[in-house]
Amino acid sequence: MKDTEKLVEARDLTVRFVTRDATIQAVNGVSFDLAPRETLCILGESGSGKSVTLRALMRLNPLKRTVVEGRLRVGGHDLIAAKERTLSDIRGSVVSMIFQEPMTALDPVFTIGRQIRETILRHEAVSRAEANRRALELLELVQIPSARRRLDAYPHEMSGGLRQRAMIAIALSCRPKLLLADEPTTALDATVQIQILLLIKRLQSELGMGVIFVTHDLGVAGEVADRVAVMYAGRFVEEGPVGAMMRAPLHPYTRGLLGATVHDQPRGQRLTTIMGAPPDLGRLPPGCAFAPRCPSVRAGCLVDVPALRGEEPTHQARCILVPGVPELERAA
Amino acid sequence: MKTVPSERLDQIPDVGGPAQPLLTVRDLTRHFALKGGLPTPFGKPRGVIRAVDGISFDLRKGETLGIVGESGCGKSTTSRLIMSLMQPTGGEILFDGQPIGHGGLTLKEYRRQVQMVFQDSYASLNPRLTIAESIAFAPQVHGMARRGAVTRARELLAAVGLEPGQFGGRYPHELSGGQRQRVNIARALALRPRLIILDEPVSALDKSVEAQVLNLLLDLKEDFGLTYLFISHDLGVVHHVSDRVLVMYLGQVAEIGPVERIYADAAHPYTAALLDSRPSMDPARRRTEPPLTGDSPNPINPPSGCRFHTRCQLAEPVCSRDVPPLAPAGPDHQAACLMVLSGSGHTQAPALAA
Repeated sequence: MKDTEKLVEARDLTVRFVTRDATIQAVNGVSFDLAPRETLCILGESGSGKSVTLRALMRLNPLKRTVVEGRLRVGGHDLIAAKERTLSDIRGSVVSMIFQEPMTALDPVFTIGRQIRETILRHEAVSRAEANRRALELLELVQIPSARRRLDAYPHEMSGGLRQRAMIAIALSCRPKLLLADEPTTALDATVQIQILLLIKRLQSELGMGVIFVTHDLGVAGEVADRVAVMYAGRFVEEGPVGAMMRAPLHPYTRGLLGATVHDQPRGQRLTTIMGAPPDLGRLPPGCAFAPRCPSVRAGCLVDVPALRGEEPTHQARCILVPGVPELERAA
Repeated sequence: MKTVPSERLDQIPDVGGPAQPLLTVRDLTRHFALKGGLPTPFGKPRGVIRAVDGISFDLRKGETLGIVGESGCGKSTTSRLIMSLMQPTGGEILFDGQPIGHGGLTLKEYRRQVQMVFQDSYASLNPRLTIAESIAFAPQVHGMARRGAVTRARELLAAVGLEPGQFGGRYPHELSGGQRQRVNIARALALRPRLIILDEPVSALDKSVEAQVLNLLLDLKEDFGLTYLFISHDLGVVHHVSDRVLVMYLGQVAEIGPVERIYADAAHPYTAALLDSRPSMDPARRRTEPPLTGDSPNPINPPSGCRFHTRCQLAEPVCSRDVPPLAPAGPDHQAACLMVLSGSGHTQAPALAA
């Protein structure tokens, strides 16, 4: 991939939250590229740093207490060096985001139409009438029934599925190149979840966006992703194409997650579990962060953070037991 | 029958024998009156939410019955009605053949045999009691001496996989979500109940922790001789733990039957669509069309006839007119669909036997 083709380029991205009492190392050196029109799914459990990574791509983490380092370019803009004013211009027009809970992400005191119009008027020099016309178009685009009437609806007057559609309409109102989705279907019923997932897929191909999905649900990843990155203790521990990841996971943690997820196991049979709990991000161990829970741990795991390695350059994991060449040596 | 709380507080012995259902639910109904708004003239009722609208089922001894459905279908209201946390508008509940209240089991006797685990592990624990105190609380209410209750609490902590010495003295905020849910399960076991209602017990947990808790629940069921009513919106989890499944739609039973039959060959189109909505982990089997469009309708004014006809792809005019009763769809398997009922007038219904 040439540099000019990359929609997102992240290199050694670290995010730390500094308070008087402790420093929380939420993201510890994440590197990845995203091509236009590509869908990356970041998979992880609570506290793995997946949402913090996503917020860093829009610089939404609290300004005063967050230290963001590394290299981060989105759509040609350097997000690390950018000033707050520039960031406001980028948010919404280059990159935008949909959240898990539409009821708290939408403003309860304004109508849906007004919230879409506000976004358009902030970024583009168009008339109010034109903004209104675009708002209606957007509600039709996200398949909200009787769209004209819904422009004047308040968030509480809509069902969960419709609210999530309205939030997608706001996120898409300025035709962003990158859409970030933070567990957008976790609060929804299965019947509505599949509708929203298919809607995002369709809009992505129609509008030609890159999408980064954050989820804890392997099923969601299987349904939408091109590539999957598994996150643990602030690092990508495995990254690869979705098919290979589901069929032949490399990292013991990914294997554990697949085993612990209820899918087609015989009934009544015990699920394989991952023992223990995720590490404290304030006190990370020096070696592999998964070592204390890993069934195949050995002495070498405790020394250094393992490099990404694998037989395929597109499918790699941070585990010393994975066959293949470490990425660093390949590059050298 | 009067049970005297013994010092040991053992499981209350079976009354009706193995063929008697542990729980019999008949025409259970709960309507919520709508509050607020202007009073309507001419004494018209302001409207009611039909959260649970006449459901009947048996819960057999020793089985796990899973209840699934979309949000708002009444599954949680059903669990609260069974737990007697709210009073039904109509219908009755029999426990091991005995009514509750009015000459049957007293509420205290009933609650000793039926316990519940909720979704929110933090909100369901008293933040000012240590977890050992929380677990020992109910046995003391039922007449057990404090010493014995604390000993039992420590045994139960060990049974759910928490080291009693390390965890017994902690407060709920000092535990992780998975550990708190283990405490809630231990507390539910403290009275040696016969039935445990599990209302979305693993929905708030991470996948790796969810698997640990599901395994624990399967073990405890054997060890303590329990019957489970397992409510969840996660069809994969319900498939894994249940013997039979009850599918609810807008306050009514859409289908009930053995788990393997329902998952392999659902008789009700709603069940089929619900199962088809599960995301597949196999990227080669991606869908392009959602099985159902729209959200589930409002339970204030449910659709006429079959309540699912507004979203059903196989609906015919007769479906908006006739209310389908639960009809046999196979061995031990019933569905409320006119396509299952012979002679219902639906073109796909089986012909009437001559």
